[in-house]
Amino acid sequence: MEIGGTPPRYEAPLSRSTLGGLLVAALLISLLLGVGFGSVPVPTGDVLSVLSGGGTDVQRDIVMNLRLPRVLLGMLVGGSLALAGATFQALLRNPLAEPYILGISGGASLGAVSVIALGLVSASSWALPLAAFAGALLAIWLVFRVATATGRAMDVRVLLLAGVVIAAFFSACIAFILSISPARTVQTAVQWSMGSLAGASWGSVLVAAVYTLPAAGVLIALSRPLNLMSIGEETAYYLGADVEGVKRTTLLIAALITAAGVAVAGIIGFVGLVVPHAVRLLIGSDHRALLPLSFLGGAVFLTLADLAARVVMDPIEVPIGVVTAFIGVPIFLVLLRRSVGHT
Amino acid sequence: MRRHPTPFRSRMHLLLLFAVSACGPHIDDAPPEAAAATITVVDATGTERHLRGPAQRIVSLVPSATSTLRALGVESRLVGRTDFDTAPWMQILPSVGGGLDPNLEEIVALQPDLVIRFAGEQDPRTPARLDDLGITHFALRPDRLEDAYTSITQLGALTGSEQAADAVVAEIRAELDALRSAVASRPRLRTVYVLGGTPPWVAGSGTYIDDILSLSGGDNVFSDLGSLYASVSPEQIRAREIDVVLVSSAGDFDPTLAPGARIVEVGGTLEIPGPETAEAAWRLAELLHATKLR
Repeated sequence: MEIGGTPPRYEAPLSRSTLGGLLVAALLISLLLGVGFGSVPVPTGDVLSVLSGGGTDVQRDIVMNLRLPRVLLGMLVGGSLALAGATFQALLRNPLAEPYILGISGGASLGAVSVIALGLVSASSWALPLAAFAGALLAIWLVFRVATATGRAMDVRVLLLAGVVIAAFFSACIAFILSISPARTVQTAVQWSMGSLAGASWGSVLVAAVYTLPAAGVLIALSRPLNLMSIGEETAYYLGADVEGVKRTTLLIAALITAAGVAVAGIIGFVGLVVPHAVRLLIGSDHRALLPLSFLGGAVFLTLADLAARVVMDPIEVPIGVVTAFIGVPIFLVLLRRSVGHT
Repeated sequence: MRRHPTPFRSRMHLLLLFAVSACGPHIDDAPPEAAAATITVVDATGTERHLRGPAQRIVSLVPSATSTLRALGVESRLVGRTDFDTAPWMQILPSVGGGLDPNLEEIVALQPDLVIRFAGEQDPRTPARLDDLGITHFALRPDRLEDAYTSITQLGALTGSEQAADAVVAEIRAELDALRSAVASRPRLRTVYVLGGTPPWVAGSGTYIDDILSLSGGDNVFSDLGSLYASVSPEQIRAREIDVVLVSSAGDFDPTLAPGARIVEVGGTLEIPGPETAEAAWRLAELLHATKLR
């Protein structure tokens, strides 16, 4: 089976509506689990009384101001990353494509590390996310400039190469800054780069929601031309798609929602790579179903991964990127084996 | 961990001057035959290190050792320091770079007869290269409060200033005993030491900060951490009924996580076990209890 394209006779193990139903149920369950469980034990009865306006001050803070925003942010970030990953895989026709492929993680890290090294993190709780976002935008701008410099049409191969090279350049900048920084700066930077949802607040949830939900809507609305594009740009052109327009719009939106995710939660690997592939293996490559179900799948996956990050080593928090890899890799390998068996 | 040298050293050095001058002839005035005697001291890696006599040209890669040598009255024998030795009196010395990644050429050029370095795994390169170059080196492990005494005693032996070292150690012990009695009648304060980050990165038990916190009248709420330092769930901070949050600067901590707590800025100078330990513990105690104690 060809992972990046539309397999003509691939018999999907699940129907779209079945997987959709399962994921909606899973999303509700992960919401309940994420709010009900955490490092500090809060009895289920007390969680329910907090949700209906009761409970002690500490319980109310833990459930309403720490867990609930964290779960919602996890859903938004996980969904965005999976959706961006699915979009990049379709447009770049490359199964290895993931949300950070255009140098976004490198740019965001450079922004974050600069602010940490300059000691500006203490100045405002928005300093770090804004710097990471600005760094990601810089990377996106550079990569798009390079990819469009060759002619009128944007060449996705140039885009990929530019992403790799610019990421390498940013890595070198980061290595240089860290090499002349004290140990505490290095620790903070490494911690940030491994990703965490611990900084979630109602403010960050609101910003992430206002920013990512409309963008996700636009991407999902463009799933029909994305279907054509994933076959090949030339074919899509002859079938009447506005190839350049769709390519630029979708790449830019996918890059921008990734940048927002990185800004609020650091670099969380694997969600954007594994979830779209898993969904594709389960229901096939029709982007009209693949994109929304990847969003749901990413939301469920990251919420559960964050719950694991909070409780497995209680009271210590494990970096969420570690959990996404530990859970994601085995699931993905099982799915891959199954799908190879089917064809 | 970055080890900053402390800017405050007011009281103790005056006392030390008395202590050293009371010890009779200073080691620098010792006759040459005494200097030829072999000195053997076991370092923090368990290795015996030999010197032909009290060290005369010392490169210190450990900031707490740099200030200890001054407390022992032998700072004139220092020929090199690190970038992290920032006290004004150290500035005439050339720096050899970072304590864990020193420039070996600079060290060789200073022709030291002793290099003081950190024990531990962070820098496997330097000791091996110093061995190759035939430069004597001595490993210190300034991790805990007790290590401060050990390090001072070891540095005393290496420089032939044992009596001065004993006096410094006795002085620190006396000051810390005085501190213990000063805070004995006060309620213990539930305290967290936050190094920054999201999720918050805190100190557990077995750390130097935990040692001086406990004798300053604070109880580390994360003594059950099971790790020296780790990131903890924000809800743990919210649930642990914390009285005082110690941070190096206030912006490193989200105050809504500990609504009832006092947030105290301690700067980056608390984490150096060395001659300033007593001074640092007194200062921490006064910040912790928000009152003058002496």
